[in-house]
Amino acid sequence: MQEKPRSKISLSKVLEKREVAPGLVILKFHNLFVATEAKPGQFVNVLPKVGFSDPLLRRPFSVYNTQGENVEIIIQDHGKGTGILATTQVGEYLDVLGPLGKPWNYDNDKYKTALLVIGGVGVASMPLLTRSLIQEEKTFAAYYGARNSSLFADEYLSEIKHSTDDGSQGFHGSVIDNLRKDLKARKYDQPKLFVCGPTGMMRAAIALANDFTIPCEVSLETEMACGIGICQGCPIENSPSEAEKSGKKFQLVCTHGPSFEREEIVL
Amino acid sequence: MSMTDMRITIGGVEFQNPILVASGTYGYGSEAEAYCDISGLGGIVTKSVSWKPRPGNYPRRIVETASGMLNSIGLANVGVHVFVEEKLPYLANFNTKIIANIAASSIDEYCKVLEHIEANATKNLAGYEINVSCPNVKDGGLSFGTSVSLVEELTKTLRAQTKKLLIIKLTPNVTSVAPFAAACESAGADAISLINTVLGMSVDIHTRRPRLSTVTGGLSGPAIKPIALAKVYEARKACSIPIIGIGGITSASDVMEFLIVGASLVQIGTANFVNPNIGNEINSDLHEMLSKKGIASVQDLVATLEVSDKMKALGW
Repeated sequence: MQEKPRSKISLSKVLEKREVAPGLVILKFHNLFVATEAKPGQFVNVLPKVGFSDPLLRRPFSVYNTQGENVEIIIQDHGKGTGILATTQVGEYLDVLGPLGKPWNYDNDKYKTALLVIGGVGVASMPLLTRSLIQEEKTFAAYYGARNSSLFADEYLSEIKHSTDDGSQGFHGSVIDNLRKDLKARKYDQPKLFVCGPTGMMRAAIALANDFTIPCEVSLETEMACGIGICQGCPIENSPSEAEKSGKKFQLVCTHGPSFEREEIVL
Repeated sequence: MSMTDMRITIGGVEFQNPILVASGTYGYGSEAEAYCDISGLGGIVTKSVSWKPRPGNYPRRIVETASGMLNSIGLANVGVHVFVEEKLPYLANFNTKIIANIAASSIDEYCKVLEHIEANATKNLAGYEINVSCPNVKDGGLSFGTSVSLVEELTKTLRAQTKKLLIIKLTPNVTSVAPFAAACESAGADAISLINTVLGMSVDIHTRRPRLSTVTGGLSGPAIKPIALAKVYEARKACSIPIIGIGGITSASDVMEFLIVGASLVQIGTANFVNPNIGNEINSDLHEMLSKKGIASVQDLVATLEVSDKMKALGW
């Protein structure tokens, strides 16, 4: 049964605000629909200000965590819209559309070990995945890279392998180099990479997965207007094989993604 | 309080209310169904359809700007065959009028597409909106839309092919829309719709690169509403066929502005990206506002702009 109109759009009261790491603000808000429906990897599209204003369009955020009837998103201030959202106060309301997009493709037997590969604010799509992997008793590890030890937002993660550019915590070097070392050592049985982070890091992760011929799924962040497949504003180019298969040059990140298997796309 | 009659008839076709959704901002209906009671809308103008499917432009396709957005989608569409086989039959399930928007790069192609839709018309297909104004593809019709004689020839040719509503969608990217409006009327169009997007651009100062892949794109949203109103006003003075007003509408009072200036119907565009149910919400607000004002029929508001005799005498 199709849900009633607008059930996916609602004004959500902000209940809590905290900073998990410098520049990373967590907003917790009440939204029963998202809290109960959201699956790992899905996102919500949030208006910086309620109503038609400036900025006009919604901003997409991964569902960072759900607890009971409440939802958390993680906001990094990198522009006008996210800047306004980062100043939202407890008691104010957010206009939230979601959950949107397809979940991570984790719920299958095509791999044995899930390797979460995380860079910066890409951590936002990982807590729900971690929780589901634990529930399904999958073996997993989380490779998490940051510039320095103060930047980790790892409150909801488990089995973490930290790496820092400055060596202040964990492996001294990139998250990709840390992972390469362990893949070379054949540490994991039939691994699959679940990657979210800066584009350069995701490209490196795809190259690594190609080297070791292992499955790799990347969660993309892109400019988006509607988030529901109407505006056609968020295309990602299909790989030649995917284009051949689907007859389409592009897919939409909002409805076909935000995550894609490495073979599907050109990043 | 007596309730305002929201029905509007243009070219012999009755719309249950004046609120349509604009081409390219509502897909083919199915994308929005989970968020919106489609049958509450006055009509749906479908995403531009061309003879062959088009993949659309490379990213980046959208950039937000002050109170608006630039887009360069590039007429991404399923092609007319899938359109008539899948999209039109799906849209026939709803109690609203469907207007098929057509994009092409030659008069022959416009004719071919219209003919194919006409041959497969569904019961609620009210007619066609002809896109002669897409700024985002090299062959998307804007070369038609900026030539009065081509618009006239195209309109005449298509008029001979259909008795359904024929609406020409005009671009604001011309010095004056008046001759285009007049040419559409004389060539037999039932109505004109305006405005399509305003040509615009945005630059990343750090990389010195254009933000859109195609360098320029089409500006839409509240930022362009004053431009749209001025163009509708200009067109209203230049022709007597009905006008469909488009440009930056986000509220019932915005709709009233367009109606007062001279539009009979309006289309909601970019606002659908923020709230896919906004068309119904605006319609309900408009109904309430007009009823409160004691206006018997929404038609009574159309082209009621009060310009003083003194200013008229001065040519305004």
